[in-house]
Amino acid sequence: MKSDGQKNVPAIETRGLTKRYGGLVAVEDLSISFPKGEISGVIGPNGAGKSTLIGLIGGALAPSAGEVIYYGEDISKLPAPERARLGIGRTYQLPRPFLDMSVRENLQVALFSKSPLMSRREAAARTNQVLEQTGLAGAGNIAARNLPLLRRKRLEVARALMLDPKLLLLDEVGAGLVDHEIDELIALIHALNDGTRSILIIEHVIRVVRECCKQLAVLNFGKKLAAGPTQEILNDDNVAAVYLGAAHRTDPAAAGVATLTSARRKAKPDRATLLQLSGVSAGYGQARVLDNISMRVGEGEVVAVLGSNGAGKTTLANVIAGSLAPSAGKLEFGGEDVTRLSGDKLFSRGLAHCMEGRRIFPELTVEENLKIALRGDARRQTAQRLEEIYTLFPVLAERRNSMGTALSGGQLQMLAIGRALISKPRLVIFDEISLGLAPVVMDQLYAALANLRDSGLTMLVIEQDVERALELADGAYVLKQGRIVLSGDAASLSRNPSLRDIYLGEKS
Amino acid sequence: MMQENSLGRSMAHPLTGSVAPALIVAVFAAAFMTPGLLGNYEVEIAYRLMLYICLAEAWNLLAGYGGLVSLGSAAFVGVGAYAFTSALNAFGVPPIVGLLLAGLAGGVFAVLVSPAVFRMRGLYFTVGTLALGEALRLFMVNVPWFGGSRGLFLDADFPSREALFWWALGLLALSQFLITVYTRTRLSIILRSVRDDEDAAAQLGVRIYRVKLVAFVVASMLMGMGGGLQAYKLGAVEPYGMFGLPWSIDILSMVVIGGLGLRYGALVGAFFVITLAELLADYPEAHIVVTGLVLALVVRFAPRGVCGLVIDNWKRRRSETRGSEREVQP
Repeated sequence: MKSDGQKNVPAIETRGLTKRYGGLVAVEDLSISFPKGEISGVIGPNGAGKSTLIGLIGGALAPSAGEVIYYGEDISKLPAPERARLGIGRTYQLPRPFLDMSVRENLQVALFSKSPLMSRREAAARTNQVLEQTGLAGAGNIAARNLPLLRRKRLEVARALMLDPKLLLLDEVGAGLVDHEIDELIALIHALNDGTRSILIIEHVIRVVRECCKQLAVLNFGKKLAAGPTQEILNDDNVAAVYLGAAHRTDPAAAGVATLTSARRKAKPDRATLLQLSGVSAGYGQARVLDNISMRVGEGEVVAVLGSNGAGKTTLANVIAGSLAPSAGKLEFGGEDVTRLSGDKLFSRGLAHCMEGRRIFPELTVEENLKIALRGDARRQTAQRLEEIYTLFPVLAERRNSMGTALSGGQLQMLAIGRALISKPRLVIFDEISLGLAPVVMDQLYAALANLRDSGLTMLVIEQDVERALELADGAYVLKQGRIVLSGDAASLSRNPSLRDIYLGEKS
Repeated sequence: MMQENSLGRSMAHPLTGSVAPALIVAVFAAAFMTPGLLGNYEVEIAYRLMLYICLAEAWNLLAGYGGLVSLGSAAFVGVGAYAFTSALNAFGVPPIVGLLLAGLAGGVFAVLVSPAVFRMRGLYFTVGTLALGEALRLFMVNVPWFGGSRGLFLDADFPSREALFWWALGLLALSQFLITVYTRTRLSIILRSVRDDEDAAAQLGVRIYRVKLVAFVVASMLMGMGGGLQAYKLGAVEPYGMFGLPWSIDILSMVVIGGLGLRYGALVGAFFVITLAELLADYPEAHIVVTGLVLALVVRFAPRGVCGLVIDNWKRRRSETRGSEREVQP
């Protein structure tokens, strides 16, 4: 490689880089550079332009102005495939696998587009190696369509690795992982940093940033707020103000499991049962994911469902919301047997489902996305209901006429929550809603949820972050391999030592 | 040592999967050479079957593997037919040269229109190609060079029924060879990545435009040759017939009924539609209604067509017999 001799040439550098979408400036006059052979990070609030920056470097987006310099070469005009061939690999924040191809084929796209004449043995060896490296070894022949969200994220990384990139751009690959999975991810990122490869990480999981990145850049409103060594940046007051929030200045690992402000809530016994599951089993095809689940959610109660990835939490949410029919057992909602009802019928009975992965209609505006959830009589109060949601998430009001596609990841998440709430449901299922949110937004979000709880909304919260979930919830159920292994009220669960074991000891 | 299954399906030896296509060609040839097996009527049907299999294979490559759902097949069939007729009339070349020129014309035409049609994606591409066929038909009617709306007569001897059969068999063999190579090799992975997500493929170094163009040209060459052969059979070409929408629609129906994006979808679909057409030959209106109905039912209840139904059933059977093995993967 020609530039290897020049030690000072950065892996990637932007000069006056600007990207406008109509009137909106996503990235403005950004001049930033990241050294080669090292792991660097970009942090910032949702909507700060982080993913846009990845798009501009990877070539998916054309800059409105400015230059992108890669190992000393101006690549601003190069189309995306040529940049990939030069060694820039990227992942998508919301995974975009080739759905109708196997995982193995997904990986081989990069291999065969770059070197179509590679020997079969070499291609297979390389594919197997990356599958192994990214923890997808058993999944090679599964169609990407059948992978759950978090494995799709691994596939994103695996696919980019097949390019053998000199610069790897990772867009929020840590979101939604539990502790020991984050350990694995950090180990993987360190393993990938072999001295010549440069890695650029965009991440809200501060642990990943702290333990991987040598230097950080902070973006806010498309501009560089700060840049420097990781520790310095994380202790910076400005950064704390716009991004980290107060809670993260202390080391969360030292905080231990939830210090519950349990005095805030008096036990509220004898609440009428709103949702009751009795002996529910469910699965996909031959694979049984849920096994004999029984649980109860009372009127006005907040119940958390905890468990590591693959435990069956999202499947449980899908069964309750009516998008997956149970193979056995009974579901009752408001005293009515709803086992065989489909999702739309359940929705009209007041059960809203805020799905993992956001599921926003991309061709509709923010306001239209919200209005879609208003049915029947509720339509007469459209203005008032919209106002309530906008009060909860002011940023949605600012962007009410933007298309779904133009929103940043965090804004999409808020929109998804708003859409679930606007119909004034009797029960809302929140599935991994904090995924991909900046820490400071997560604080706001949980404050908002606490307000909703205090106003009497019944919620079923599926969450990776045990502390937050238990702080919010009245009671919780812990899933492991499709069964409930622990349940009880939040305060006693948080003191239960086996909870920690279930999360941390999942490796066996 | 690499184990067989660690190589994965797509990496299987290129010879596997080329047996069945060779067998199909052989069955046609054997049936024809068995004395007394096929009468004139059957030979006629076999010709049509082979022609349509070839066209449907080409379309399946485009739409099923490349995601380029085209309603412009008629344009390429028509270009091939006119190229064949003009070449024989003007230069007196032998039919084989005429057919090759017809294929070449189809391919060149594809290259010429690609900058325009590839600007459009998804449904827009489909509508764009529909316009292409119709525009070309109007062009042929209105320009003075190709006999206008009356078309051209071929100044060559009518081929015998036997000769036509062999020509069609050759075309079938060529299409089976090309499509097998295309769908069993690395080209297929690249092409399908473009089908599933163009942007993501680009980020992995796939040169989208080039990949689409190659598939488009290969399919268009096959369609052009099919058109040339049909012109040879008819002895005359005219714009309404050769550029007619029915070509595009028939080919599409075959592939959708047989199984879009599945290797034997085109074959099964062509058999199905042509058999149906023959059974209902005396009731042309009923034929259209029944085909339309079948198409609607397939789209609604078996989106992967007849082949998809068979594959799913087979998979279900297999997993029932060894059900316990699959429970590990959620």
